[in-house]
Amino acid sequence: MQLALREMRRAKVRFGLLASAVGLLVFLILFQQALLNGLTTDFVGAVDNSDNPILVLNEQARANIEGSFLLPDQVAAIGELDGVAATSTVGENTFTATTPVEPEPLDVVLFGYPLDGLGGPTSLSSGRLPEAAREGVASAADAGKGFAIGDTVTIVGEAEDVDITIVGLADEARWSVAPTVFVSYDTFEESIRAVNPDARLVLPSFVSVQPAPGVDVDALTDRIDQAVPGVESLTRSETIDQNPGVAGTRQSFNIILTLAFLVVVIVVGFFFLILTVQKSKSLTLLRAIGSPRSYLVKNLLAQIGLVLALGFIIGVGLTVFAIGAAPIGDVSISVSPRTIATTLVGIAVLSVIGGIGAIRRVLGIDPIEATEPGGQGT
Amino acid sequence: MPSSPTHVSPTPAVQLESVRKVYQSGDDEVVALGHASLTVASDEIVALVGPSGSGKTTLLSIAGGLLRASDGTVLVGGEDITTYDQKQLTKFRGNNVGFVFQAVNLVPFLTATENLTVVAEMNGRGGSAAKQRAHALLEQLGLGHRKRNLPDQLSGGERQRVAIGRALMNEPGLVLFDEPTSALDSKLGVQVMELIRSEIKGRQTAAIIVTHDTRMTEFADRTVEIADGELLPT
Ligand SMILES: Nc1ncnc2c1ncn2[C@@H]1O[C@H](COP(=O)(O)OP(=O)(O)OP(=O)(O)O)[C@@H](O)[C@H]1O
Ligand SMILES: [Mg+2]
Repeated sequence: MQLALREMRRAKVRFGLLASAVGLLVFLILFQQALLNGLTTDFVGAVDNSDNPILVLNEQARANIEGSFLLPDQVAAIGELDGVAATSTVGENTFTATTPVEPEPLDVVLFGYPLDGLGGPTSLSSGRLPEAAREGVASAADAGKGFAIGDTVTIVGEAEDVDITIVGLADEARWSVAPTVFVSYDTFEESIRAVNPDARLVLPSFVSVQPAPGVDVDALTDRIDQAVPGVESLTRSETIDQNPGVAGTRQSFNIILTLAFLVVVIVVGFFFLILTVQKSKSLTLLRAIGSPRSYLVKNLLAQIGLVLALGFIIGVGLTVFAIGAAPIGDVSISVSPRTIATTLVGIAVLSVIGGIGAIRRVLGIDPIEATEPGGQGT
Repeated sequence: MPSSPTHVSPTPAVQLESVRKVYQSGDDEVVALGHASLTVASDEIVALVGPSGSGKTTLLSIAGGLLRASDGTVLVGGEDITTYDQKQLTKFRGNNVGFVFQAVNLVPFLTATENLTVVAEMNGRGGSAAKQRAHALLEQLGLGHRKRNLPDQLSGGERQRVAIGRALMNEPGLVLFDEPTSALDSKLGVQVMELIRSEIKGRQTAAIIVTHDTRMTEFADRTVEIADGELLPT
């Protein structure tokens, strides 16, 4: 340890640069995950934080709620299956609306669910759940746009408008990056008819299914898909993973994240390999005068550990600062302590793997070389 | 045998018996050391002189546990080190031998003091006792004012003195010097040899000093000549 510390103290710039580089990479990785998290939440938060154990969609919608509708026979057939404890029809659609705050009309997503059934938000950050028609719970991120408790959101119809009073707010409750309001299924139907007065039948987007106690969720989704023609059942997390917006975003982020992790391994690995090669004369000398291999390897690992610790402090500090200081547009970015912990453990493991080259080099030192004329440094 | 107030161990510091060292280079065999037999008493300074390539460093390396003999017996302080494995040899070097190598030989990122204490630290014996011992040694070597300096802030002679201190740090029974004065001018060389003699005699330990320079042999108790891997009878 002491050897490691002394060397670092005498090469502050060199080690400082490495720690800063690691710190920036940690920041890059954490911030991207925060951003990905924020974007994902913005796309699918409304479903992620809603009471939908299983969602049964139209098979042709390819897991996309936007493109899904279910026919009455299908809805009825789902409700009659064994292992289904309860079902609710849920409607989802994007409307044009005005609010007391926004000067221009804006897109608003409505989720309509039976107020005493499945499909509503699981937790509220303030206010209450809707208890009557034309009441709604809005995504808390949009409170400032006229979706605060007490505000009236007006769905612009062909002839008549529908006024919805916001009575509660839910965190991370947006859908497709738009302000989202949970209303009763009746209010949802009323809004559809206001926009399209000729609609004869308003179809639900999906059926939310509560499995009976003790029923395996995967088994039930399989059974529904087999028994009811033309439907696809998904768990809530499958719906989120297969959402086209989320899947695409995750894919591009994962490429960048993988690259960033690789860069960490390469940067740390090469730095310590070069350092070890540069001081191989000193290491040979130490081995010759009786230093065990383990002593030198321990000091190398200690240096890797110290550089990482410093890098982590820099990286996490920058991330906390950036998340606090720079809300990016409407995206509320955040990164969970768990994500931070797994990222740091991952980087630590990868760095030690990156350090294998240097470790092998240390282990391979032949102390006899210290006897060669000019065989060791100053 | 005259009695001494400190210690006179009857066990010789080094006993080499018919030690051979053969290097394999391709199909050729290079005999670096023939049938070398040498005994160094526990408080004796032996100068080893011989032309380049005669096997001086090889002999020193074998006596110091850096190199294994191809054949023969190597007893150091009465211990037969020919049977030691790599780990035991490493421990042996750390505890029983002091080395001053041919080139100037310090760790560049450690101060004079730290170049000494590292010897104790790497065997888990660091701490304030080691620091005190290092300081005392550096004082004795006339480097009291240089303790905190890094090697590149020291002159060649100062560096060689730090290396001598480093070799004495673990209180070895045997100190091996490979051309300790070759990088110094003759005046400085004489000073360093005087210092080596007084330090070794003051501790009543044994030393083998390899040198090209016959003028340096006067600081030894005995001179052994080597040529073509064979020790010449004196
Ligand atoms: N690793 C090796 N492989 C093959 N031959 C070697 C090796 N090391 C030394 N030798 C040979 O063994 C012989 C003795 O070498 P050694 O280094 O002991 O000589 P030396 O007396 O110390 O010489 P110098 O005064 O030049 O330092 C030389 O002929 C040398 O070329
Ligand atoms: Mg030599």
